[in-house]
Amino acid sequence: MPLGKTDAIEFIGVSKEFESSTAVENLDLAIPDGLITVFVGPSGCGKTTSLRMINRMVEPTRGRILIQGEDNKDTPAHELRRSMGYVMQESGLMPHRTVADNIATVPRLNGVSKRDGRSRALELMDTVGLDRGLAKRYPAQLSGGQAQRVGVARALAADSPVLLMDEPFSAVDPVVRADLQRELIRLHETLERTIVFVTHDIDEAVTLGQRVAVFAEGGRVAQFGSPEEILREPADDFVASFVGHDRGTRRLTFASAGEVPIRPLDAEDRPWGDWRLALDDAGRPAGWSIDDRTMVGGSLFPQGGSLRDALDSVLSSPSGWGVAVDDDGRALGLLSSDDVMDAAARERKSRYGVGL
Amino acid sequence: MTWLFHNLSYVGELTWLHLLQSVLPVIIGTVVSIPVARFAAVRRSRGAEGAGGASRARAGKARRGTVVNAAALLYTIPSLALFVLLPLVLGTAITSLTNVIIALSLYVIAMMVRSCVDAFESVDAAVLDAATAVGYRPARRFWAVELPLSVPVMAAGLRVALVSNISMVSVGAVIGIQSLGTLFTDGLRRDFTTEIIVGIVLIALIAVVLDRLVALAAAVATRWQVRS
Ligand SMILES: Nc1ncnc2c1ncn2[C@@H]1O[C@H](COP(=O)(O)OP(=O)(O)OP(=O)(O)O)[C@@H](O)[C@H]1O
Ligand SMILES: [Mg+2]
Repeated sequence: MPLGKTDAIEFIGVSKEFESSTAVENLDLAIPDGLITVFVGPSGCGKTTSLRMINRMVEPTRGRILIQGEDNKDTPAHELRRSMGYVMQESGLMPHRTVADNIATVPRLNGVSKRDGRSRALELMDTVGLDRGLAKRYPAQLSGGQAQRVGVARALAADSPVLLMDEPFSAVDPVVRADLQRELIRLHETLERTIVFVTHDIDEAVTLGQRVAVFAEGGRVAQFGSPEEILREPADDFVASFVGHDRGTRRLTFASAGEVPIRPLDAEDRPWGDWRLALDDAGRPAGWSIDDRTMVGGSLFPQGGSLRDALDSVLSSPSGWGVAVDDDGRALGLLSSDDVMDAAARERKSRYGVGL
Repeated sequence: MTWLFHNLSYVGELTWLHLLQSVLPVIIGTVVSIPVARFAAVRRSRGAEGAGGASRARAGKARRGTVVNAAALLYTIPSLALFVLLPLVLGTAITSLTNVIIALSLYVIAMMVRSCVDAFESVDAAVLDAATAVGYRPARRFWAVELPLSVPVMAAGLRVALVSNISMVSVGAVIGIQSLGTLFTDGLRRDFTTEIIVGIVLIALIAVVLDRLVALAAAVATRWQVRS
């Protein structure tokens, strides 16, 4: 079955009213199978409520939710929940259970023996990049990042086609977060689950999402589409202001820098003048020098990277020349800022289909 | 000392009776308190309540107040009065062991209900929510998650109830119920200090030993807590 072609989860006219407020209003949304769909939006706009209606932690006031075409009310709530992994912000681990026992929770609830549950837990620790030595620790003895990995492992243990994640990485520092995001993308590529991911961080949304639903006040979906579409053509002023003022550069994330020429380091005409790129023994860039001064280099452009990477490598370089590197980090050549700007302009024109 | 050696079997029997009256009411009282407290404990759990959430929260508060206050009121009844009054209700003899044990259990309930309510309310609502979200059904969630997590607060209350019950047992001696307290009444009547001292030492010993045992058991059951 081709990924993204069928709907894993479908909201049909779903509303949720609380005593004093309407959290979600008449939501119609089809979440494609096998993709990462991100719910993004400002605080209080009903993202969590929408997510929790999928596994019936919240019952809708009106409307229906179909899971693989079946009304989620047709399955007993506890079975429905065991059939979907759920990861939440503070990891939601059982503080009185060891890491291994936490991961094995759902298999154990489903009657798997203690031994099998444990060996499954150890496998999953490998999958999410946790040292097996942590198996006997209690959650209070873990770092925030480790706890989140345990949360993800527990959700995967359900072997479910659907994973629900509610701001799972918002309580960890930016470095760990980037790490966890990469890991999630890698996991998704190997496991092919349908993931619904809630965040209020637009950067996280465009990094992870293959589909992004931008939620506005009152649980209204202001726009639903690929991250590129949302950055390129915000449906309205709300989306435009939410995706932020630097959406121009952010959009370049989706443009390939394949057309930007990489100038060989030994070019005859030396367009970079007196600047010299220092290389270490392995041929990796090691800073720039001019006259007798040496300076730390800028960000590197990985071969095959995006136009955003290319632009940043140019802007952050002391010489104004970006350094392209191969997969092993060896310098391949240099990028000129003019070439990058030209490529960005071509990209813009081809997107909007005007000018040229 | 010589008195003690000559009366070893008598003192031994009193010690046994005292132990029985110390432990049984605590077990009975705790077992009764847990469901009562669970029923009365108020917790704001997110998302679970739909329309009517606020009025249900008000009802919960009222229920909690009633139960906790009733327990507090129970505690204000003087113990001697309870020992004497209870047989009128139960139809038991005043000096029967059943009578004492039920009376003492009531005091344990009076103390433990409050502790257990606090204990259940101390459990992080987010953890319970997470347990439900991964697929626990209510009964299993109670035994496997909620109860174990309420042990730290509950054990603290249990230790207080246990120690105060151990000393309360002696009061029964005044109306002729056998326990180490009998050594006090007897010693006073005969103006025989040794007997009184033996009683005090043994009661203190029971209190220390049982308290340590409960503390130890609680420590084992709460290994998961971070200790600083
Ligand atoms: N259990 C509840 N009882 C009453 N109101 C609620 C409840 N849960 C959510 N709400 C309200 O519903 C609205 C949407 O809440 P929700 O948690 O879905 O927002 P969110 O988009 O996840 O926000 P955040 O980014 O802050 O997590 C809010 O106005 C909130 O106050
Ligand atoms: Mg939320």
